[in-house]
Amino acid sequence: MAGKPVRPTSAIDQTRRMLSLVTYLRERPGARVEDVARAFGITEDELVSDLDVLPMCGTSFRGGDLLDIDTDGERIWWHNPAALGAEAAEPLRLAADEATALLVAARAVATLPGLRESDRQALLRATAKVEAAAGEAAGASSRLSVTFESEGGVFADVDRAISERRRLWIRYYSPARDEVTEREIDPIRLVSVGHTYVEAWCRRSEARRTFRLDRVAEIKVLDEPSAPPEVELRDLSQALVQPAAEDPEVVVEVGPGGRWVAEYYPHDSADELPDGGLRITLRTPDPASLRRLALRLGGDGRIVAPRELAVSARQAAREALAAYETAYDGIETPGHTGHHTAPDARGAHAVRDGRYDRQEQGL
Amino acid sequence: MAIAKAERLMNLALCLLGTRRPLSKRELRTSIEAYLEAGSDDSFNRMFERDKDDLRELGLVIETVESLDGEIGYLARRDSNRLPPITLDAEEAAALGLAAKVWQQARLAGAASGALQKLRAAGLPEDVDPYEAHGALEPRIPVHEAAFEPLMLACRDRRPVVFDYRKATAARPETRHVEPWALECWRGHWYLAGFDRDRGAERVFRLSRITGRVRSRGTGFTAPVPDVVTVRETVAGWAGEIADRSARIRLRAGAGYPLRAKATAVRELGDGWDELDIPYGHGLDAWLVEFGPDVVVLEPDELRADVVDRLRAVAKG
Repeated sequence: MAGKPVRPTSAIDQTRRMLSLVTYLRERPGARVEDVARAFGITEDELVSDLDVLPMCGTSFRGGDLLDIDTDGERIWWHNPAALGAEAAEPLRLAADEATALLVAARAVATLPGLRESDRQALLRATAKVEAAAGEAAGASSRLSVTFESEGGVFADVDRAISERRRLWIRYYSPARDEVTEREIDPIRLVSVGHTYVEAWCRRSEARRTFRLDRVAEIKVLDEPSAPPEVELRDLSQALVQPAAEDPEVVVEVGPGGRWVAEYYPHDSADELPDGGLRITLRTPDPASLRRLALRLGGDGRIVAPRELAVSARQAAREALAAYETAYDGIETPGHTGHHTAPDARGAHAVRDGRYDRQEQGL
Repeated sequence: MAIAKAERLMNLALCLLGTRRPLSKRELRTSIEAYLEAGSDDSFNRMFERDKDDLRELGLVIETVESLDGEIGYLARRDSNRLPPITLDAEEAAALGLAAKVWQQARLAGAASGALQKLRAAGLPEDVDPYEAHGALEPRIPVHEAAFEPLMLACRDRRPVVFDYRKATAARPETRHVEPWALECWRGHWYLAGFDRDRGAERVFRLSRITGRVRSRGTGFTAPVPDVVTVRETVAGWAGEIADRSARIRLRAGAGYPLRAKATAVRELGDGWDELDIPYGHGLDAWLVEFGPDVVVLEPDELRADVVDRLRAVAKG
């Protein structure tokens, strides 16, 4: 199954789990290993390692027995459920951290604009019940909050296309080339990591691509069936943008005012400079796409390598300035200078193939 | 071989939950194998104190009772540890199942699974795959910032903190003394709102700009905590989302889709250029410069001057 949760392995997590496990197993003699592992959201190996520990546990101070729990690998048997008094096996109240983790996540998911209304209602009902059952432990959950951003209408169409297995037509904005392109995609899944993205098989580039929903300018669900090839789902928990090793290297030096670059761009290294700035090395399949960055940085940074990128930024700035200088002379209005700002860099970008789409998932 | 910590914690929990009368430290020590093996009194005492803290961390309410002869006893009473009755239907269970999977931070992921497991033990319906029930949606809450966990605990326990913070444009970090109120994640980044003791006012901090360790201070809060903490509005202001004025620009036809999407008015000029009215908030100058020769600012003059300054800085290389 896609999207495995982060595996907790601490002794506290295991203890917490085993306490719930004894309550659960007491009610279900002969429970199947497979079912219990699924109910607890753990692997069968993790469950078996819990079952190895439980027979060492008990309430021996009053001469009570250790828990006689064992498994043949398929079913779990508890031979002396009386070793644990019915009272000691009751479900435990939620800890403050548990209530916080579950409630904050539930409230965040409920804000997703594309969530089906029936699901949202179920989530809100469940949240209210958990709040009530958690009591005081729910209090601290107001000190954490998460908002997912996503475009409601686009989200709903993508969600529908995935559940009905249909192809999508989109007009998509690529900031790297400042252009909107049309393409057909076979959606695979929606991922929300700050922004919401759709991972899809792009029919134009015949490759897997990730598209940020707020950059979808227009969307239509097509009648054609969606048929993405079987692809292995990547773990997207670390970063959506994963530059390839063979991508060209870009070196940027920024002053203190440009340190944000290291926060927004995945990079290989960021070394401190004596003036409080950074020397940042990153890789991208399309260095030309970073012209925007060079322009944005202004006096707060400069491109060290590749040289062509530095030159193209400088040239773009000069062309842009020309419009203002003309206007300052009072001869022409800025708009009329447009025709002599050639060569048009966008034209050159536009012929490039969609293999640069990897960058489009952007920031 | 040393006995695994989970086994020791489990035994302590079962002893404390199973008893009707307070158990002394001595009784517990002779009942739990790991404590018998602990060696000196000192090492046992340290282990025992840590274990009690750990069990409290996972939600166990452990009472300390002094008996008539002055001996301290411990027990976890049923009525203070029992989950109140809670009945969730299959749809609600699936919704919670989805929510429990969104954390990308180990401690909260563990706590959310723990909560779900407790509810499962209390009869939460199974057999519903949350992904089946919720279509293809996979929401994730990213937590990459090292400062997150200590700040989360400090917010929870209302403990003041000290950390080094580098403002977006500052060369060097500065030490800040903060009473932390709340953490908020917006657009994938975490922010802290709190009372800045040095400035005597509310401040919002971006976690990725905290350098070094977050240290906590034992003292309590000195300023009242507001009922509603609004991190998002502050951050939206930084991001230029709050525009109080309007700007007029020329944009090359076909270029600058995001500017068009934000525009309040677009007029086609027919000479390869369009004229747009766009909201003018913080940071617009830097954004416009990104479009290079495809954008010309017409007004206001102040914005035009800012853009020209930025372009000159790039042009001189």
